Amino acid sequence: MTRERLPHPAGSRIDRTRPVTFEFEGRDYTGYAGDTIASALAASGVWCLSRSFKLHRPRGSFGFAGDEAGSLVQLATEPNVHADTRRIEPGMRVQAQNTVGGLERDWAALLGHFERFLPVGFYYKAFYKPRGVWNWWEKIIRRTAGLGRVDRGWEPEYFDKAYAYCDVAVIGGGAAGLAAATACGAQRLDVLLVEREPELGGWLTYGRQGPGDSTLDDLRGRVQALPSVRVMTSAICTGWYGDNWLAVAQGNRLHKVRAKSVIACTGGTSQPAVFRNNDLPGIVSATAAQRLIRHHGVRPGRRAVVLAAGDEGYAAALDLAENGTDVAAVVDCRPDPPAGPMASEAEARGHRILSGHTVREAGRDPQRLQVGGALVTRVTGPGSCAADGERIDCDLLVVAVGVAPAGGLLAQAGAKFRPSAAEAVPRLASLPDHAFAAGVVAGAATVDEALAQGEQAAQAAATEIADPSPATHAIPEVRDSNESAPFWPVFPHPEGHEFVDLDEDVTVREIEDALAEGYEDIELLKRYSTVGMGPSQGRLSAIATAAVTAAARDTTSAEVGATTRRPPAAPTRFGLFAGRGFQPVRHTPMHRWHVGAGAQMMTAGLWMRPAFYGRPDDRADAIADEVLAVRRAVGLIDVSTLGGFDIRGPDALEFLERAYTPSFRRLRVGRARYALLTDEQGVVVDDGVAARLRPDHFYVTASTSGAEQLYPLLLWYQAQWQLDVDIADVTPAYGAINIAGPKARRVLEKLGTDIDCSPEACPYLAARTGTLAGVDVRLLRIGFVGELGYEIHPPASQSLGLWEALIDAGREYGIRPFGVEAQRVLRLEKGHVIVTQDTDGLTHPHEVDLGWALGRRKPFFVGKRSIEILRDKGLARRLVGYAVPDRNAPVPEEGHLVVRGGEITGRVTSSAWSPVLDQAIGLAYVAPEQAEVGSIIAIKAAGGRLIEAEVARLPFYDPDNTRQAM
Amino acid sequence: MVEPRSPIDDALRAAGGSIGEHAGATVVIDYGDPDEEAEAARGLGLADLSPLPRVGFRGPGAREWLTAWGVDLPDEPNRACIQPDGAIAVTRSWTEVLVLGSTQSADSLCARLEAGTSDAHRARAYSLPRFDGLFWFALTGASAADCLAKICGVDMRETAFSSGSVAQTSLARLNAVIVRVDAGATPLFHLLGDSASAEYAWASLLDAMQEFDGRPVGLRALHALAREFK
Amino acid sequence: MKVMPCPLNGPRPIQEFTCGGEVVAPPDPDHADAEAWADYLFLHDNAAGVVREWWYHVPTSFWFIADRDTVTDEIVRTFLPRELFGPDAQPDRP
Repeated sequence: MTRERLPHPAGSRIDRTRPVTFEFEGRDYTGYAGDTIASALAASGVWCLSRSFKLHRPRGSFGFAGDEAGSLVQLATEPNVHADTRRIEPGMRVQAQNTVGGLERDWAALLGHFERFLPVGFYYKAFYKPRGVWNWWEKIIRRTAGLGRVDRGWEPEYFDKAYAYCDVAVIGGGAAGLAAATACGAQRLDVLLVEREPELGGWLTYGRQGPGDSTLDDLRGRVQALPSVRVMTSAICTGWYGDNWLAVAQGNRLHKVRAKSVIACTGGTSQPAVFRNNDLPGIVSATAAQRLIRHHGVRPGRRAVVLAAGDEGYAAALDLAENGTDVAAVVDCRPDPPAGPMASEAEARGHRILSGHTVREAGRDPQRLQVGGALVTRVTGPGSCAADGERIDCDLLVVAVGVAPAGGLLAQAGAKFRPSAAEAVPRLASLPDHAFAAGVVAGAATVDEALAQGEQAAQAAATEIADPSPATHAIPEVRDSNESAPFWPVFPHPEGHEFVDLDEDVTVREIEDALAEGYEDIELLKRYSTVGMGPSQGRLSAIATAAVTAAARDTTSAEVGATTRRPPAAPTRFGLFAGRGFQPVRHTPMHRWHVGAGAQMMTAGLWMRPAFYGRPDDRADAIADEVLAVRRAVGLIDVSTLGGFDIRGPDALEFLERAYTPSFRRLRVGRARYALLTDEQGVVVDDGVAARLRPDHFYVTASTSGAEQLYPLLLWYQAQWQLDVDIADVTPAYGAINIAGPKARRVLEKLGTDIDCSPEACPYLAARTGTLAGVDVRLLRIGFVGELGYEIHPPASQSLGLWEALIDAGREYGIRPFGVEAQRVLRLEKGHVIVTQDTDGLTHPHEVDLGWALGRRKPFFVGKRSIEILRDKGLARRLVGYAVPDRNAPVPEEGHLVVRGGEITGRVTSSAWSPVLDQAIGLAYVAPEQAEVGSIIAIKAAGGRLIEAEVARLPFYDPDNTRQAM
Repeated sequence: MVEPRSPIDDALRAAGGSIGEHAGATVVIDYGDPDEEAEAARGLGLADLSPLPRVGFRGPGAREWLTAWGVDLPDEPNRACIQPDGAIAVTRSWTEVLVLGSTQSADSLCARLEAGTSDAHRARAYSLPRFDGLFWFALTGASAADCLAKICGVDMRETAFSSGSVAQTSLARLNAVIVRVDAGATPLFHLLGDSASAEYAWASLLDAMQEFDGRPVGLRALHALAREFK
Repeated sequence: MKVMPCPLNGPRPIQEFTCGGEVVAPPDPDHADAEAWADYLFLHDNAAGVVREWWYHVPTSFWFIADRDTVTDEIVRTFLPRELFGPDAQPDRP
């Protein structure tokens, strides 16, 4: 099956001792290890790889370099694989994409017959009327116009990222890149050389070199001998971001490279010519033909026509002829081609050369899905040629009309490319800071020029690294090459099918129609016509698009300009962007104990917390039992997730006075009080407890959800106030255990403590330091749940031990651990607000009855002015407690609306069934006039059912607070 | 008595760590294969030092107070300085110092400093509970910098980050202090971060270490490293 | 990805930082009328050119100030808050 194989030395990449059999469209093919899917198929005479996106025309690869949509194929578990760069593996199953019923008989190709009904801007014009019709069309369009299929049974792969650093990153390991890397490495600079192909050398590995050209082995050897040059092959630089941050994809890893300087040696892209049926498989660039010969040892065709506008076409013709292809003619668009070295040699060898001619139209082989011949006619002017000429049979049509600088990456970084004067091919016009360019991308036309530019760029980079003050970078000087045609080879045909963009099936006519409709700006033209929006991102269509636009608007390509280039510069797998995910998780010291005790864990920010202890299907009972244990005996909850700040120094009090709303001036050492925090807009942002441990030392807690945001906020205040105070986030250093219930004191006393826990010595809101079970703790006599309770703050490393000791000591009193769910019910019974659950981004203290927590006599606190303004405007809503008198009514849910007639007056923020009160209770925002105790409000539950609730006095439970003061 | 525990105590025991006494602290001595661990410490090894003493001080008087107690301090922020007993003083800012107790011999410095915290408070050198707040791991070996490049955006290679350098940066998206104090020719990075995320950090590091055949090592392996270069 | 020169930690990837918005001097809360106060809270200049911004280095919990050109995204200078807010502050405009 490898009938088109050439003998050694052709085929530098293949290993003829290792045949590899794979499947394409259900048939077996055999290539060699090192072959790509497309090269192995070409060796078997198969050129058609896919059907086109819109018209389902047969397509193959034009450049054999992984650029176009035409070479995208489907693997078993991976869609959109470039057949011309992916290597074959034994047993690989490859299918063509974008076909309905197979590549050979694609039923959707009938779409081609309806082409006149698929005008430019098709998707924008059709399918949107009548309303809803898109939903029907979408399924069909997705099936016929989509690319590959995602395999939903995929096996996860390991992708990750790594940082890399260097003095100089050289992107592209062709002649210029090798020269640049060698020159930098010789100066002991730390160099990273990134090459997208499997080996270094670029054009030197497949191009036809003239006599006396520097040899590839030399260049490679020199770079490999330098210890400070790291070489990455099969690595694609897909993005060039701010401050020389490069994304380099290699295998399953994305390297995030930071370079002091970058030298772009990204080469060029051989361009297609635009003529009728220029999309047929078997129409390839000169470099593609040379790659097939030298890399893969594949004879690209039996009989070839070469369309040239420069010396490289003649080079290809010579290569083909030497490797057994009958070159029927070299068709040169230029009326008077200059005698370049290759052209002279071709002439000397007697090749048939047709100057001032072009291919007007390609014809299809009636037996196969590929080119079968070319209609060659005389060029009659820019963009026009005679209708009649000579028909030449061929199975290969090689196009060598010009090379565009592969400037996508440079353009991302801010480099400008512009064609000069009346030219069509853009040239490098300016470079951003710390960026250099060399080689074809910078306009070099010969290997020697590329080598010289590489060395110059290296020199400039080295100079700049030694002295980093930014200088304006000289653009490499290039000889004016007079080798391209005086106009870009675009030959419109009365019957169409001259494709400007092969990815998107955009023809000359469609560009002209879009322009006629007023889409003259190049960015608008791109989006409306979709030209340049396919996988090749304009690399093969931008010049022709600009040329067609310039002709239609009677201006120059330079005036037309180019579209913005954005990352990624090459198709990139999502896995590389995702990488190995890093999502920090925070565990309290007691985490393992909770899990071992059967807790159902829930996330709270980065933390994991026990929701309740028990099986998921016992949820309601487990929560109720935990609640009752706290009310009747004693419970303990892990509250290590609370934030904790040590605020110390001569100005500690002053800091608190300004940052928090209440006044702490009269707070004695050994006492704690509620600490509310509002922002400058007067909005409640967090609350906690401030305990005065020394005159100049406060220990302030923060809510689980607020702690992480609060610390930067407090430091930001301090950055402005510049007080003599230190604010330390000690959240992870302390565990915290809240032990609550009528028997809580007995548990502590049994455990052994040097703190006098009697009600007289340690009353409600006392703050003590001492030892408990031999552990140094901070002990706060506070209660969120409305029972006798202590918040114990032990060092994190001893928290689990203390927790276990408390459980042991409390066993005889019926102690029970309780989770977040029970705590929510308990605090709701006490009417306590949870900031961010019962407050939102607009809540100010008066709306939630926290006016008592505002230090009215303080000259200043953050939010004071705003709260005054809001208070003076009058309240728009109030948070109230409610109870549902009907015990058979459904329990309202958080977020349910409070309605009055047809009007929404508020919403439920907290809701629970209270096991103690035996009814549904909750907190809700209501209109101020509904806030009176005893008012009846209507809550709209699921399904539209209205639940009647009565505004209740808070707290629901133990209104005189006798229990927490025991 | 309630003994202090490493924040990754469970993971260490599950990995077969044999836990023993070192200078008053309870640490993983080895994982049952001291020779292989000593080898790994030269290639790539990860040790948990969380049970060893460390203490922080911050405030306008912190530098002066520590100097008065005989601690050698680097002049600049983000530098580390080895004390005569093997402890390491790390400047985290112009006014904050982290002292890591000696990994080689019994600690005396941290204990002395901690005993003086009330005095320090008066001198406006406020003590910080770093023993409980920060996990402490050591990543050692020739591949350590390459391994860190997978989870940390700061260049940790010798040319950019020599022994004595300190970076406070993001490690697998976790705030961390990275202190490089090589053991002779073997790179050694002390890694400290939020003790509540210790398990996450340990697992992330072991995952990043896989491609270099890295493994957890006990304190014995670090001691072997230290002996080699003495 | 940008590099931010942090006055404490040196050049670091911008990912390690969060921006705290422009440095704006609040009006005197006791004397500003409601309109001036609301203007301070809710209306920002969003100027094209060099602006003075708060930046926070997350791993060290460190606030500093940066003069940044919003047109070119160039960071002109970074410095400690005490330059503007300390006892010897000389608040100047960028």
